[in-house]
Order: sequence, then C-alpha cells, then structure tokens
Amino acid sequence: MNPQVRALFGEVSIPDWLHAAAFSLSFQSPEDASQTKAGSPFTLLPRADAIRSKLIYTFYLIDHLQGLSHAIPRHNIQDFLDPKKQRKLMFTDHHQLVRFNITPVRNTIITPEKRMRNRIQVRCSRWPPLTMWASWVLNSTIFKSFIICLIFLNMLVLMIKSEVMNKTDASLMSLKLTLEVTIWVILLIFIMEILLNWIVSFRGFWKSSWNVFDFSVTIVSVIPEFLDLTGITNKIAAMRIIRAFRILRTLKLFSKFRQVRVIILAIAKTLKAMTFILLLLVVFFYVFAVSGIFFFESYSRSDRTDLEYSMYFRDLPNTLVTLFILFTMDHWYALLQDTWKIPEMNKLISSLYVILWLLIGSFMFRNFFVAIMVTNFQTIRSDLAEEVKQIEAQKKADLFKIQIRERSQASGLEVGPGTEATPSAQQLEYKVVVKQSVKNLDWETYIHQNLQSLVEVNEDGQVAWPSDSLFRYFELLEQLQHNLEERKRLQHYAVMALLNMEDK
Amino acid sequence: MVLEFTLLFNPLFNSIMISIISLNAVFLGLETDYAIKLLFFSFQLADLIIISIYTTEILLKFYVDPLNYWRSGYNLFDVLVLFIAYLPYTIDKNDIKHYRTWNIINGFQALKILKLISYNRGMRSLITALGQTVKTVIYVLVLLFLLMFIFAILGYGLYGDPETGDSKNWGNLASALFTLFCLVTVDGWTDFQNELDQRGFSASRAFTIVFILLGFFLFFNMSIGVVIMNIQVSWVSLILCLKAEKQAVLQAKKQAILQRQQEEVNMLIHQQKTSEYKTFSELVEDFKKTLHHSDPMVLEDFCASIPFIDLYLTSLDLQDNTVYSTLYETATKQSQTLEQI
Repeated sequence: MNPQVRALFGEVSIPDWLHAAAFSLSFQSPEDASQTKAGSPFTLLPRADAIRSKLIYTFYLIDHLQGLSHAIPRHNIQDFLDPKKQRKLMFTDHHQLVRFNITPVRNTIITPEKRMRNRIQVRCSRWPPLTMWASWVLNSTIFKSFIICLIFLNMLVLMIKSEVMNKTDASLMSLKLTLEVTIWVILLIFIMEILLNWIVSFRGFWKSSWNVFDFSVTIVSVIPEFLDLTGITNKIAAMRIIRAFRILRTLKLFSKFRQVRVIILAIAKTLKAMTFILLLLVVFFYVFAVSGIFFFESYSRSDRTDLEYSMYFRDLPNTLVTLFILFTMDHWYALLQDTWKIPEMNKLISSLYVILWLLIGSFMFRNFFVAIMVTNFQTIRSDLAEEVKQIEAQKKADLFKIQIRERSQASGLEVGPGTEATPSAQQLEYKVVVKQSVKNLDWETYIHQNLQSLVEVNEDGQVAWPSDSLFRYFELLEQLQHNLEERKRLQHYAVMALLNMEDK
Repeated sequence: MVLEFTLLFNPLFNSIMISIISLNAVFLGLETDYAIKLLFFSFQLADLIIISIYTTEILLKFYVDPLNYWRSGYNLFDVLVLFIAYLPYTIDKNDIKHYRTWNIINGFQALKILKLISYNRGMRSLITALGQTVKTVIYVLVLLFLLMFIFAILGYGLYGDPETGDSKNWGNLASALFTLFCLVTVDGWTDFQNELDQRGFSASRAFTIVFILLGFFLFFNMSIGVVIMNIQVSWVSLILCLKAEKQAVLQAKKQAILQRQQEEVNMLIHQQKTSEYKTFSELVEDFKKTLHHSDPMVLEDFCASIPFIDLYLTSLDLQDNTVYSTLYETATKQSQTLEQI
C-alpha cells in the first residue's frame, strides 16, 4: 500500500488477508449502484481498501458480525482516567473492555490554540486573575535578575558576617546590625518568591524537582533562625554547624541558570546509567576488603611500635577506607614498604594484592567511569538537540496550519459563487484562483513537504465523533474514492476527445 | 534432563542462589572480626552447608551438559572457587607452621562473593561489554611493562651501585620496577628524586622527568582514551542488544494476537459461505441501526481529525478548479476556432 495512504490512515495493521476477507464479504460493493457495466471487473482501489479496513477496525465489525458484541470495548480511555466515571465503571462490571490508542507524549508546548483558549477563560472569569499576575511576575526578566542579585548579595553578606561576628569592636556594631537586617530581608523575599510560586499552582510546584530543591534548601537554611527564636540555642552542641546551613541558600543559584540545570541533569542521568558498574565496584571493594584483612593479619597484630599504618587493615571499616585510599593511589608504596617490615608477611602476596587492586580499581574502573561519562554526555547532548528539533517542527506545523486556514478562507469566498455566475465571470474567478495557487508555490508539493510533520505533530489529537456520523463519514469517504476514480476516467475521455477534435 | 532444565533456569533458583551467596558474604565479613568469630561457632557449620550447596549446583550443571560445561567462563570460575573453598579443610588448622598459609587461603575465600555476578543478566551483559575493553587495556599495560623494563635496566645500571648509588630503590630489578611504577602513578615521586639528588646524581632529573612524561602523561592517558573508544562501541551495542530483546518479546506477542485474528476471520468466512450472499451495506445495516447520534467515539487518528478534513476538501476543490480551468479554456478556444472556421 502507498506509504502516504498508510500515513494518512494511521497504522492500519490489518494484514492483507483481512482485506481479502472484507472484499469477499462485499462482493457487490457500492459500485453496484453506479457501474454495472456488463463484465467490468471489480476494480481494486487501494485507498478505498484502506478506508474500508479503517471502518472495520474502528467499529470492530468482525466481532459484531460474529456475534461477539460483548467483546467490543464500549468505553474510552478518557472514561477510565476520569475518577468519577472510573468508580462507576468499577462498580458495574469489572470485565469491560476499554479502547485506547497509544500516542507518544511530546513536550507540552503551549500552542496558539491553548493560548487563545486561556485568553477567553481569563476574560470571562469573575475574579481578577491572581495566578496570571503571579506567573507574569515570576517569569519577567527583571524579577529573575533581581533574585539572582539577591542570592549573590546574600552570599556576600554572610561572608562578611562570618568574618566580623567574633570581633567585639564597638564601631562594628552598626555594621553587624545592617548585616543582620539584610539577611532577614533577603530571607523574607525568598519566602515570598516561594509563595508566589504557590499562588500560580500549588500542585504544579511540587511536580518540578527544581522547585522542590529550592523549597528544601530554603527550609533547611531557615532552621537556625527558628531555633534561635525558640531559644534552644545554647543547648545543642552542633549549633555552629546548623548555623552554617544559612549558606545553603546560595545553592538556589543552581536552579536559576539554564546551563547549570543542563549539566546537573546530565550528571544525574549518567549516574543512573552507571548503577551496574557502581554495583560491580562495590562488590570488588568488599571482596578485596575481606581478603585484605586476612592477608594482612600478621601486620595488624604485630607488636612493633614503628609501624605507621598498623591500623589500616585492622577491621572492616578501616580496610574499606584503606582501599579507598589505594583507589586514589595515595602513598601506596609507603604502605607497602611498611608492611614489608614484618618478616612473617609474605612479600609476594602483599605486593600482588596492592598492585592488583591498583590496576583493577584505579586503572580500569576509573577509566570506565570516564568513558561512560563521555559517552553519556554525548548521547544527552544529541537528545537535547533532538528536542530542539522537535520544537522547531512543532512551530513549522503551526505555521502551516495557520496558512491553510487563511488560504481556505480567502479561496472559499470565490469558489462558492463562481459556480453559478455567467461564463465571463466564471473565467475571471477561475483566473484569480489559478493565479493564487501559482503565486504561493504549487499546492501539491507544499502539502507533500509539510504533511509528515503535520501527521506527527497532531497534538489536538482527540476528536469526539457521534458514532453514526463517523460511520457515514467513512462510507462517504470510500464512495468519494470511487467517484474520483470515475472522474479520472471521464477526464481521460474528455482529453482524448479534445485531442481528436484538434486533429480534425 | 527436563527436570534439570526446569530447575536450573528457574528464576526462583536464581534468587535462592543469590540469597545464599549474599549470606555467605555476610558471614565472611563477620568472620573477619575476631571477637564475633569466637562468639558464634555456627560459622563453621554454615560454611559447610554452603559449600555443599555449591557442590550440588556444580554437579547438577555438569550433569546437564558434561562436554560444554568447560566452555563457559562462569562455570570454570565456579569450579575454581569451589577448589579454593575446599583447601582449608586439607590443612590442619592447629598446626602453627601452617598459620600463614591458613591466613592466605582464608583471604582467597572472599572470591566466593564474585559468584554473584553470574546470576544477574544485566551484570552478565555488562561484564561481556567490559570484557572487550579489558583486553585492550591489557595490551596497553603490556606495552607499559615493556617500557618500564627498559627504564628499570637503565636505572639499575645508572643508580643501582651499592656504594655510589641508591641501592634501596634501584638495587635489584624488582625494586627498580617498583620505583618506576611509583613514578608512573606519580605517588611520592619527589621523594625518590630527592634521594637521587642527595647522592649527587643531578642529571637524574632528566631521567625521571622523561620517564614521567612517557609513563604517566602518555600511557596513563592513552589507556583512558582507548577505554573511551571501546566503551562507546560496546555500550551502544549493549543498549541495542537489550532493546532488541524487548522488541523480540513484543513481536512474539503481536504475532500471537494476529494469529488469533486470522483464525477468527477464517471461521467467519466459513460461516458466511454457508449463509446467503449479502452485500456489505446490507450486512452492516443492522449494525448501523445500533449507532446513536449521542454516542461519542473519541478518535485520535489523523484521518478523522479536522485539519485533515480541511486539507482534503481544499485539495479536492483546487483539483476541481484546475480541471475546470484547463478543460474549459481549451474547450472555449477550440469552440472559437471552430466558429471561425
């Protein structure tokens, strides 16, 4: 079948034998009305074929004709996803079939249609659009740069404060006061930003992990202030550390810059891809740790006082840390020479152990990590490039749709009355129409170029048809194909006739 | 034979073996601490039970396929691990002379934990993917060893003299190789250089620096580059392999469904042949009556969407227009010429 036809009618996955079956059922198709010429063979039109199969597929005619009407899905995926209807469904009958189509979910880009719909909604609403104002504020460049400046200012102020804090100079009192006030004001502005985000949409706030990160960082950094307020300050020993949480507010920078987000996303994806290798590394760590304890037992138990690294292989936690030290290849030779000081130590085993661990851990695993990161960064970069391409295809398809609408509006005004007017008026109108189509590229090639993107980017995809209209639509479409075929033949005859006339 | 197949390739069997090996790993880890070892005597008993389980598994696998057993690397590894596991029982633990060997053999017991790898399919494919790269890394290492050998002999000749030179680090081949390996991994190489400087070998700086440039900057980073090249290929093929597996499973399911459809239609055709002929439209007449206008069907296909209808109708209209225009023009022209004649 023509691949274009296939594209138009979706994945008609019904194989050929079913077409044959459909035709055998329809031995005398709708053509019996038009062309019962004696002995004319039944013409096989691939497009009519495809439409017929689509009809059969959509309405589950096979099951119906077989009498299996209970096997037909009566419900749509929308019915299932709507919680109220789902409850109703689950109460009535558990064995209902649900019809669904799997379409890949693209990036939800805001289309012009959505925008216009939103505009109408806002104009007709009762209350002033607080959410719209909040989102406008949040997305404006001034506000964004303001917040970034505040974050930098916060960092600066905290740095100065940590320097100045312990000095009890009287002249610095006013400086300390200003610093404290600045910190509190900035904190209040950050909290207000989070509140604005909540106003826009509370649920949507938690769906984006960057927002969750922002929120948690702000909350954690606010903890010392709360502890101060409630007065448990002096009772907690780790107060200094908790006070240091204030500086975490600087991490908010990470969510503000797009490039930083891309890098962090890339790192997160790479770590996910590397889970197996990390697991393998952990297994190797454990194996070498256990062997190490046994191999170096005489070294750990020795009574000599001049051993520097005697604690290094004493028990499991220490050995794990030692293995990590060897993984970074730091002072491994000194450690090895230290172990050789004991006469009971088998030099071969100890040197083999250390060198093998260096080769496996440091050489191989580190190179694996680097290589996998490089490969993954490349794939992530190509993925991002593909996303950008998709966005562009979307824009092109939108432009195409708008152009078609304009064109059909313009030509619709002329084709209508043109059919009834006098011949001269007809001539005029046809000429105008012809000029139009010539001016804007050839219509056919234009459609050809953009059809594929239109099919792929069919984002307002769901149309609710009344079922009898849909059936009638398919029937008419099939009839149309046959009529077009007939017209083609008539055209052919007309051309032949004209040529014959010319010859004469 | 079938029994063994159902037993060995059962996912339950896999999970049981994985849990036993992890238990073994935990026990090994606990044995290292002397205090705990004295408290629980059952470690010995658990060890015996686990070894017996391993032996039965190996015997089962061997029984299934005696000749091809030795082809798979995992099976060879299993046999080696079992052999190492039996060794502590061959020596007498209470004999003081054997204390050192007992320590060493115990150390090798830890290899049992590596058996975990053969039970997870993801790990296995990872190991195969990495295995290719390991081969190339080994070639690089062999090259590095050759280079080190040359420089070791040079260094021994220059600095290995027991009286005038630094015999501790360069005195014999083994220590020279060790020193050079230190230089390759650039760990504390300035100390070695200081020692040589103190003995008055000021030209030794050139030696050390040249070797560090060659060994560390060149070879070390070359190994990174080689591994990157290999991993790109094998990683991509690994992911493609996994995808292809999923696709194959999906295809099999699709085929089953299509097969069922075909059988049903054959039955239907058979039924139809026995009843009287009806045209398609008569056949679906009854069906059409069941469709109501208020019954919505939600379609997501492009062929039933509004842009498509717009496009199609516009194309048809334009087709009509062009046909009319060309035919009409030629017809009018011809009629004019005819009139003239």
